[in-house]
Amino acid sequence: MMIGLVVNYANRGNENFGNFWTQNMVLEKQDLSDKPDDGELIELANNGSRAAFAMLLERHYMLIYKIAYQWLGHQSDAEDVTQEVCLKLAKVLKSFDGRAKFSSWLYRIVLNVVRDMQRSRGRQNKRHIALKDITQANSPASQEEATTYSQMWQAVRKLPQKQCDAVLLVYGQELNHFEVAQIMDVKESTVSWYVMEAKKSLKGLL
Amino acid sequence: MVKKTDKLDILKNAEAPEPSKARRAQNLEAAMLAFDKEQQEQLKQKNKTFQGNGLMRRLMSIFNNKRRTFNMDMRIPLGGVAIIGLVLLPLALMYNSTTSLTGLNSPLGQPVQEKKDMQLSEDLNKEKPAKLEERTRSENDGAIVLDNAAPVAESEVSEMAVSSPAIQMESKLAQRPEPLGMVAPAPTIMDGQAGDKFSSEDESSLFITAQNPVSTFSIDVDTASYSYVRSQLENGIMPNPDAVRIEEMVNYFSYDYQAPTSANVPFMQSVEVYPTPWNEATKLLHIGIKGFTPELSERPKSNLVLLIDSSGSMNAPDKLPLLKRSFSLLLNQLDENDTISIVAYAGSAGVVLEPTKASEKRKILKALERLSAGGSTAGGQGIELAYELAEDAKSEGSNNRVILATDGDFNVGISTPDALKSFIEKKRDDDISLSVLGFGSGNYNDELMQALAQNGNGNAFYIDSFLEAKKVLSEEILGTLMTIAKDVKIQVEFNPLTVAEYRLVGYETRALKREDFNNDKVDAGDIGAGHTVTAIYEITPVGSSAISVDALRYQNEKPVSTIGNKQEYAFLKLRYKLPNEDKSKLIEVPIRVDAAKDNIADISPEFRFGASVAAFAQKLRGSNYADNMSYEEIEALARDAKGEDRFGYRAEFISLVDIANSLSK
Repeated sequence: MMIGLVVNYANRGNENFGNFWTQNMVLEKQDLSDKPDDGELIELANNGSRAAFAMLLERHYMLIYKIAYQWLGHQSDAEDVTQEVCLKLAKVLKSFDGRAKFSSWLYRIVLNVVRDMQRSRGRQNKRHIALKDITQANSPASQEEATTYSQMWQAVRKLPQKQCDAVLLVYGQELNHFEVAQIMDVKESTVSWYVMEAKKSLKGLL
Repeated sequence: MVKKTDKLDILKNAEAPEPSKARRAQNLEAAMLAFDKEQQEQLKQKNKTFQGNGLMRRLMSIFNNKRRTFNMDMRIPLGGVAIIGLVLLPLALMYNSTTSLTGLNSPLGQPVQEKKDMQLSEDLNKEKPAKLEERTRSENDGAIVLDNAAPVAESEVSEMAVSSPAIQMESKLAQRPEPLGMVAPAPTIMDGQAGDKFSSEDESSLFITAQNPVSTFSIDVDTASYSYVRSQLENGIMPNPDAVRIEEMVNYFSYDYQAPTSANVPFMQSVEVYPTPWNEATKLLHIGIKGFTPELSERPKSNLVLLIDSSGSMNAPDKLPLLKRSFSLLLNQLDENDTISIVAYAGSAGVVLEPTKASEKRKILKALERLSAGGSTAGGQGIELAYELAEDAKSEGSNNRVILATDGDFNVGISTPDALKSFIEKKRDDDISLSVLGFGSGNYNDELMQALAQNGNGNAFYIDSFLEAKKVLSEEILGTLMTIAKDVKIQVEFNPLTVAEYRLVGYETRALKREDFNNDKVDAGDIGAGHTVTAIYEITPVGSSAISVDALRYQNEKPVSTIGNKQEYAFLKLRYKLPNEDKSKLIEVPIRVDAAKDNIADISPEFRFGASVAAFAQKLRGSNYADNMSYEEIEALARDAKGEDRFGYRAEFISLVDIANSLSK
């Protein structure tokens, strides 16, 4: 009985909004021809436009992937995160309120998913990573120069999370402190402080 | 500073490998499906509201919408909603250790879950004070419990501790209290070490082989001294020579000595003899021991009791707040087989958390969060309570350990240090060990903490930074939690035909009597999984120009006979017990003259780096023997032997040598 009711509601819903759908399709075709900006795409997508959503994803897919890769340093993990972010966007796009830049908002979502993944994988991977660390530590120390780069990455990824985020956003993503502050939801001065703290921790490598 | 910055610029050249096209198509398709589903979902919802489906839902959706706009950053539910709260909490704690959970958001549209969580924390709060009080009352007659769930009272207490000069002045003259919430590093106090206590040990003296051919000592894997020295140097203070313990400085670093392959042979020893970097006429006999590293999964279940000093003196950013963050790191390394309990001592002893599965992170972190600093210290009673909990939570084959975190205050409680030591010793025989984590400076009682840890089969660490906490509680946790060999003793008999004089570098507090070596009842240091231990002797070969003692005129000191003739420098004996055995095993290795290297460059960088640390430590101690090696030479030796240095610890050491050099000028 209950089920029947729900289905009924749903069907009615489609009828009620049938008009709305077709309208939207028309709008969509016009707008997509001359490269709509993110804000427009989001608005369209939030009104139910598949094409707009698809275009938005296409446009930012590489950015998402690249952020994920920088934080994780591992391709298939980065691709998992990208997938998760795409799925998430489908659900949460409507909560984007336009106060921040879409890209800033996207950074936050990606970073959150990265965190989630790190945590859920942390346990099972810990041993794996520990073993990796050991074997690497054992390798001969000849090409010191060549390893500085990867050492730096290792060290940066091992920083406390906020410092790591700040450093990667400022140096890895080359954002200015204002944008970073927005993404991290802290004051600009706090960003500078995180970076400074990180430098202190990394000073052996700098 | 500006120049250094540029180095980070290499981060921007990160080239991500091209993402897989197939994966991309898959991902996009999945997202489109999710999008479609979401649209349907929304229609359904709208429709229901449209149909006037109850006031509740409408109210709820207003509520939700509000949340949405206010929290554009936040985590959005995607299934495993229940976990999110649990997962967020440690994170929030880690970086926000003293403020409460402001950044927390419950997921949209999950009112049921939210309620549950609230219920949960309510239960927690309700149940704690009751238990706390009950426990405390039974333990100490009528003492007041400071740490309960009433946040107002709590903050008042800590405020008082901060602002009342009377309390502070008494015992903590050097201590400058900082507001608890500040996580930024406190400004350095130049006389910051004034209140820190260290025992003054004379440097191990030189022995004449003919008179005293045997040297016996217990190994030591503590590292506290290094981190203390580091924090002093980094604040621009030359450390107190008594704070420098050479073996702890050397053992801070992990050396890549040859490793054993099975747990039955818990460690391997490597020996090198090479020219002393600070004295051309002598040689170093360098003994390296590497412990077996088992799989993490083979770790025995741990029953840990955190005994936390929450006295007024802990009220500084590098103490209690750092401690809280450090323990959340430890939690990440544990799982549902492990139990955690928390006892605080502050004015009176109280149980903050009854034994709880380590997988219940939320509960544990909440308990930790409730801790605040204030009041005087009664370490003794806290210790009794902690051991009681450890006893309660003991189970078959578990590794039972009390982890004491303090800045070194033990003013009240078990009255004398000796009584405390014997108490811990007794408990050690009941299979409960003690590890000590030292925090902060100004009040640090190094000697007592050392003594406690040594008597408790444990180890002592000094946590001066979050990175150090990471090293101790995360990277090297296996060694801290899992003992692979206990009562490890080293005895070296030197051959008077080849070695005229010798001295042990460091290990002053670890010397044993010759007869103690074969006596299994005599306690000695333990080796944890993956630990490395280094011991260095400086030996003066027969005929060397460095022999400091003239031959006697009236005595014939010629040794009667030796088996090895001039083939051997010494004979090394190691004794150890497997963790669950009481009878010791013996390893014997002759150290041959012809195996000695003539050039320090011929030995592996692992040994050379160890030698450079030993040189530095001796110089800081004002040693009579190694003082003529300059800081520049030490730095060069260390730099040359840095190796891959994955975690940057060796690079950090080099910078410390540099700081000491500039401070000494």
